[in-house]
Amino acid sequence: MIFKVHGVKVSTKRSIMTQTETAAKKTAAKKTSAVKAKADATVTTPPEPAKTVKPAAKKKSGLAFPFTAIVGQEEMKLSLILNIIDPRIGGVLVMGHRGTGKSTTVRALAEVLPLIERVEGDTYNRTLEQYLEAEDGKKGAKAFDPKTIRIEKIPVPVVDLPLGATEDRVCGTIDIEQALTSGVKAFEPGLLAQANRGFLYIDEVNLLDDHLVDVLLDVAASGKNVVEREGISIRHPARFVLVGSGNPEEGELRPQLLDRFGLHARIITILDIAKRVDIVKRRREFDEDPDAFMKKYNREQLKLQKKIQQAKDLLPEVTMTDAVLTDIAKLCMNLGIDGHRGELTITRTAYAHAAFRGETVVTMKHVKEIAGLCLRHRLRKDPLETLDAGEKIDRELAKVLGEAEAV
Amino acid sequence: MIAFTDIVGMDLAKQALMLLAVDSELGGVVIPSAVGSGKSTIARAFADILPEGTPFVELPLNVTEDRLIGGVDLEATLATGVRVVQHGVLSKADGGVLYVDSISLLDSSAVSHIMDAISRGEVLVEREGLSEVHPAKFMLVGTYDPTDGEVRMGLLDRIGIIVPFTAQNDYRARKKIVNIVLGTRDAEDTSDELKMLAGLIQAAREQLPHVSITSEQMQALIQTAISLGVEGNRVDIFTVRAAIASAALAQRSDVEEEDMKLAIKLVLIPRATRMPDREAASDEMPPQEEPPQEEEPEGEDEEAPADTPDAEAEEEQKETPDMIEELMMDAIEMELPDNILNISLASKKKTTTGSRGEALNNRRGRFVRAQPGEMRTNKVALIPTLISAAPWQETRRRDSKMAGRSKTALLITKDDVKIKRFRDKSGTLFIFMVDASGSMALNRMRQAKGAVASLLQNAYVHRDQVALISFRGKQAQVLLPPSQSVDRAKRELDVLPTGGGTPLASALYLGWETAKQARTKGISQIMFVLITDGRGNIGLQATFDPNAEKIPKEDLEKEIEALSLSIQADGVASIVIDTQMNYLSRGEAPKLAQKLGGRYFYLPNAKAEQIVEAALSF
Repeated sequence: MIFKVHGVKVSTKRSIMTQTETAAKKTAAKKTSAVKAKADATVTTPPEPAKTVKPAAKKKSGLAFPFTAIVGQEEMKLSLILNIIDPRIGGVLVMGHRGTGKSTTVRALAEVLPLIERVEGDTYNRTLEQYLEAEDGKKGAKAFDPKTIRIEKIPVPVVDLPLGATEDRVCGTIDIEQALTSGVKAFEPGLLAQANRGFLYIDEVNLLDDHLVDVLLDVAASGKNVVEREGISIRHPARFVLVGSGNPEEGELRPQLLDRFGLHARIITILDIAKRVDIVKRRREFDEDPDAFMKKYNREQLKLQKKIQQAKDLLPEVTMTDAVLTDIAKLCMNLGIDGHRGELTITRTAYAHAAFRGETVVTMKHVKEIAGLCLRHRLRKDPLETLDAGEKIDRELAKVLGEAEAV
Repeated sequence: MIAFTDIVGMDLAKQALMLLAVDSELGGVVIPSAVGSGKSTIARAFADILPEGTPFVELPLNVTEDRLIGGVDLEATLATGVRVVQHGVLSKADGGVLYVDSISLLDSSAVSHIMDAISRGEVLVEREGLSEVHPAKFMLVGTYDPTDGEVRMGLLDRIGIIVPFTAQNDYRARKKIVNIVLGTRDAEDTSDELKMLAGLIQAAREQLPHVSITSEQMQALIQTAISLGVEGNRVDIFTVRAAIASAALAQRSDVEEEDMKLAIKLVLIPRATRMPDREAASDEMPPQEEPPQEEEPEGEDEEAPADTPDAEAEEEQKETPDMIEELMMDAIEMELPDNILNISLASKKKTTTGSRGEALNNRRGRFVRAQPGEMRTNKVALIPTLISAAPWQETRRRDSKMAGRSKTALLITKDDVKIKRFRDKSGTLFIFMVDASGSMALNRMRQAKGAVASLLQNAYVHRDQVALISFRGKQAQVLLPPSQSVDRAKRELDVLPTGGGTPLASALYLGWETAKQARTKGISQIMFVLITDGRGNIGLQATFDPNAEKIPKEDLEKEIEALSLSIQADGVASIVIDTQMNYLSRGEAPKLAQKLGGRYFYLPNAKAEQIVEAALSF
């Protein structure tokens, strides 16, 4: 039996294409390139069957609405940006009113993401070190010469997980085409592989099927995806920033999953008329001529992208005093938050926030601005509580701040 | 086949469909209407006015996930040994119309997939080893009978036009309908009229890019949306589009008042959550939380050259949009019923079905999908198992030959096995009916709220739902429709007036109605939790006629008895919780429990947990 993990694929050309286009092309061309990759496989190819797989999908229907053209909804935009700066924050849950641009904003994210380095064509988006660690010394594999491996820069991947996805597509399975055409049992990575080191987005996350939630919880906890099928066993890294969105009135989110999200952004209908007129105008302008609209916002987009990259570079230099850390711990304790994920998230998020502001020392001012995002979903839910979660956090925050000032 | 032009009455529905034919970006049209009013006829006739060759796909209600999204074509796969992809219904409707009759009865997972396809304009097929993107940009036309239940708000939000509930036709129209249905009309006339209409729509499509709308007009439309308490900003875009499409139909290049009126009628009013406050329409905000940060977005500070020219103009003309809005509201109120909330879908609290009430399971319900699983403890889905085994036959045969095993016809391994997953709306609906009359009302209300909260905390596990009905004064009122959302419960339970008479019969009636509604949604187990001393003193008559005479006590009892019998006959379980102090009790609560065939609990100063325990113990 020939055994091969197809890790290295034909490299995708990318030059002037925008990032979404590349992503779309990749999805569309995936099947074809996969078939091409098999052409150099060992066993002879069987005759072409009468009816083959239909040409997969056309190009993605259009450009994504530019991130910087989205009016308002600062809370959501900030949480997404902070997660790009530090993916360890643990993702964002965006919950709120219908028709307020939740999915538009998340899908717009792709265009402002910085580039990451990966081994050329690697399906799991691994860095050279990760690649060598996993592939070197594997049974049956050729010895690697690190110098021959090429590195490429790709935009941080954003992978969309649709509600109707089946488990095998999420986790990956055996590539049937390859098995048929060349007799090779090769692993066909799923969405979790594609999302490694990137973003995994689930719209209507509160409606996601239980068994997929189980899979996600499992993988999110371990950072690894394990698949056993047709006698082969695959283990690959799957660390991603989980982004979910939904309307709370359509259903509750499973508590375990809720806890997994680092930040919880709330989004409501904008009531400012001028802003709303602006939204309609921009949308119409975009619908009429997407290319021209993109061009108009190109500078803004690049500026934001650069700012994010700068914050990412600055992050290792950011520091926090013990006093601030004490206040954070006090805040979480006073709010009665279970576990320590609350403190950890606030701390990480405050670091990223300071970096985004171009500052190197975290102060309570930074903490104050992000505390709601970090803690809102960690408070115990009580329908009799008249106080809004945000108000409660603010009140406790004010207490802690007051104490700090008094000392 | 009845042509579009032959349809009598339903003028708004016809106008709505014509707007959609002109601008498909409006997303779709939903037509709520009573049985036999011709709603499905008009929807099917919609194809007449679309350009020839536009796909028109009807979605069957019992559609399975793989038929909806697409998947592996069994026949072709078995025939060729290669996986052949079959496009789903959603992608077949690409570039055309997806029609759903009785859209309110559509399975909630199907609704989610449709919503997803609408928002993307394509279907992501990530199933059974397939990873494809199929285009699926379609107009959704849905019809339904509101007595069957409501359509999920999330879906309605993505559909531009909702036709206000249509009134009955008058006798002349009815006569004409009969004539048409019986085929007494000239076929030639019909075809001429249709041609004319199709031409009109074609011209309007060409006119569409040339129609302009002023900032003031947009402001007026948005102001109206805010005054009506419409949720979300997507609606603004639909409203503006509808107004423009209407102007295009009239071959104008400017939007006029009548276009705006039509847009408000078809897009905004059906989503109204409140009547506009005439006095302070412009300043008032809907009862919502404050927007998060008002801080200007990063990177937006130096943009917006588009707005600068009219920024000043906006300042000066601040009054104008309000005036336009006033004008429009006047016009609309003349044509529509007194309380637009009666025709607004958003205001009907019964609407949402938390899809969490449904659960995928391995035993009962409707078969929705196959997935890998343990063979011994589940029902094996034979065909999906065969599909997943089919492509492997060649390699496996080779392997088994090499291993020297005997040849069998079909080589199926554990990995191929797919088990059936069913969708079932399990869990119990607890309908709390709380006596808010009299002096002990506040106490009872608090207990009920606690119990509802406590049940909801665990609702996820049991997939239970809770509804809350309070009764006081002349009639009972649904405070919380069947729901699982703690958020919603919190919002609805905030303000609770107490005191007044005790319309017990009204509460039972309303509870019964709620139970029947829930049954049509597939919730089979229903329990009434009555928190009362059982002493009703207002008859059902008072619910409908506030000036009704007080009816004698015996009649009141008869009413309760009849209702109780019907409720019991419908298989609804009941418990009555009496919180009255012993010395005041006249033993009416135990009697009520007996009538309902339920159990009686005497729990003065009951804690929320005790009530929950009582409800769950039953």
